Amino acid sequence: MTQAEIKLCSLLLQEHFGEIVEKIGVHLIRTGSQPLRVIAHDTGTSLDQVKKALCVLIQHNLVIYQVHKRGVVEYEAQCSRVLRMLRYPRYIYTAKTLYSDTGELIVEELLLNGKMAMSAVVKKVADRLTETMEDGKTMDYAEVSNTFVRLADTHFVQRCPLVPATENSDPGPPPPAPTLVISEKDMYLVPKLSLIGKGKRRRSSDEDATGEPKAKRPKHTTDNKEPIPDDGIYWQANLDRFHQHFRDQGIVSAVANRMDQFTFQTQTSSEIVRTMLRMSEITTSSSAPFTQPLSSNEIFRSLPVGYNISKQVLDQYLTLLADDPLEFVGKSGDSGGGMYVINLHKALGSLATATLESVIQERFGSRCARIFRLVLQKKHLEQKQVEDFAMIPAKEAKDMLYKMLSENFISLQEIPKTPDHAPSRTFYLYTVNILSAARMLLHRCYKSVANLIERRQFETKENKRLLEKSQRVEAIIASMQATGAEEAQLQEIEEMITAPERQQLETLKRNVNKLDACEIQVDETIFLLESYIESTVKRQ
Amino acid sequence: MLGSAPCSRSFKWADLPPRLLQDWPGELTNGELWEADLERQQLEEDQQISSWLRRVFRVGEGQQPLEFRPVPLPSGEEGEYVLALKQELRGAMRQLPYFIRPAVPKRDVERYSDKYQMSGPIDNAIDWNPDWRRLPRELKIRVRKLQKERTTILLPKRPPKTTEDKEETIQKLETLEKKEEEVTSEEDEEKEEEEEKEEEEEEEYDEEEHEEETDYIMSYFDNGEDFGGDSDDNMDEAIY
Repeated sequence: MTQAEIKLCSLLLQEHFGEIVEKIGVHLIRTGSQPLRVIAHDTGTSLDQVKKALCVLIQHNLVIYQVHKRGVVEYEAQCSRVLRMLRYPRYIYTAKTLYSDTGELIVEELLLNGKMAMSAVVKKVADRLTETMEDGKTMDYAEVSNTFVRLADTHFVQRCPLVPATENSDPGPPPPAPTLVISEKDMYLVPKLSLIGKGKRRRSSDEDATGEPKAKRPKHTTDNKEPIPDDGIYWQANLDRFHQHFRDQGIVSAVANRMDQFTFQTQTSSEIVRTMLRMSEITTSSSAPFTQPLSSNEIFRSLPVGYNISKQVLDQYLTLLADDPLEFVGKSGDSGGGMYVINLHKALGSLATATLESVIQERFGSRCARIFRLVLQKKHLEQKQVEDFAMIPAKEAKDMLYKMLSENFISLQEIPKTPDHAPSRTFYLYTVNILSAARMLLHRCYKSVANLIERRQFETKENKRLLEKSQRVEAIIASMQATGAEEAQLQEIEEMITAPERQQLETLKRNVNKLDACEIQVDETIFLLESYIESTVKRQ
Repeated sequence: MLGSAPCSRSFKWADLPPRLLQDWPGELTNGELWEADLERQQLEEDQQISSWLRRVFRVGEGQQPLEFRPVPLPSGEEGEYVLALKQELRGAMRQLPYFIRPAVPKRDVERYSDKYQMSGPIDNAIDWNPDWRRLPRELKIRVRKLQKERTTILLPKRPPKTTEDKEETIQKLETLEKKEEEVTSEEDEEKEEEEEKEEEEEEEYDEEEHEEETDYIMSYFDNGEDFGGDSDDNMDEAIY
């Protein structure tokens, strides 16, 4: 793990779980697999604190454990999983777009709690939804359950590995840690539960249906005494499936940007590609280089209902897509009216390349971008050839090439003419190695996000006193409004914050929002680059 | 032009405001290209952003001088929703029991009231209930029985995650009150709400008081550090 990744993990853990968990987590990421006592000794924290931290980390699927020989349990951190925490808002928003508010809350609960039983999720989400509904209305458990089942069917949530059923005939002592197993077919199996009930409101101002006095509000702990029907079956969010969705979204929007600007019918080619991807969702694994071949007839049948294009037009579009130099869609045969596949690996490569080009264009200018695209296209070019092909004066071209070279976007390939590698008798060719450039850019992205988070924390800390004051004033105003206060009194309270302070708060809010938005944006780039690198590495 | 490259927008010459066309120099470098694509308002806003960036973050003064302005961030409904969601999540995670705060540092002199004023979980117990069957046995923290009772007693005092804002802010008010001047009207409001809250707590304590081994309610052990906010027992006294 690079320093940049470790730093980012540290910041994310600290922001979400506090310093103790951060210390343990970062230590495990740095040193690899370690047993409990060694962790406590090396980090200098008390054994109890380490235990607490490990419980939290394991609950959130950030640390796994393994039983080694002689009964020693070792803990290992998953750095890449920690980095996913940056993407939580995107997962939740995706769930919202696909399954509306219910889906959004289900995924949010699962992400915030790591893993949960289905009955617990349904209950909590129903309660939360009921809070937001109008007075008198409640959310039925059945509706939430339905959405949960749909999420499981489309693989967005999956079961956690289970504790194997213990055999009573086992004579030896129980193992120090359970070995969790899950079989492929069970992963999305929803247990048959009959969850009946409605969401409950939390507001104490409402009259309870049973007329219980306020003080005897049921505490959380009493609920646990009832046996849960799906005891032991826990669910977690399936991040890979979300990633597959993001990747599909990226491909569809790429096709739309490229092809659909020039057609009169809006977004036909991207719709076709979207249909093909949807048909391959469950059949193709997420790491496959291309989807299963789909015949033109199948695609025609699966197009969305509103689309009234004829078979010939569809065939024309498919041919157009297959002939496109970007090679997103390929033709793999002629049966069934033509068999077409989507080249996932090539698509990711194109997206990564486009990201690189865009970065160079924004950082160095469009002339540099022109040179970069040229070298990319021609694979290897000499200095002189670059100047000729790009039609840029020699001095500028040299300057730009060296700038890109120093930032490692472009690399130099030496081809000696003579065995002694004399510089005057060696060819120096500029070339672009996309994989290494992508890795370099990814590393920079991690550093950027770490910088953004640190800056945001710094800004917040600088203005801590002011923030606390404004929160307090807001609370006072809210409570006064709730109990009915006069306008003059509210005015007086509001004036507790002076005009320059208000200005300062405005600026702070704007800064923090900008920094947050930047983090989200950089995370999108991180996703693209990571997907490409993963796909390339798997093929080697 | 594909992917999410933000700069690759298509534009027509006719869409440019006439002012810019007149000022158009010969070369198309990146800095001017995206300027030309925007309407004037957005152009001005971007110039504001740029000067703001230069002023606040001192962008461009580092190792690498910044030649080109950064492209504006995506705005719109989706962007704002995700942003709000992110900030909400951040706040929510801090309130969950998974957020482990470091122990409050020991004060210089041990006070008797410390025994009855616990702000965090006792003996490093966990606030939430993991499924112990799934975890290695060595991670289970043994909690002594007496203190286990204490945890259940003090649970009501520690506000659960879904407590109303009022109660949270009351606690905040109590701790921060001594820093600011008090307005009489707001004080009365606070007193009322404190009373309500204290009543709730007291009712819950009623059944469990005898287990506490003390005859006094919890506010008896207030060591005076929150002076001015807790005098709910003597409402008849004048407040100065």
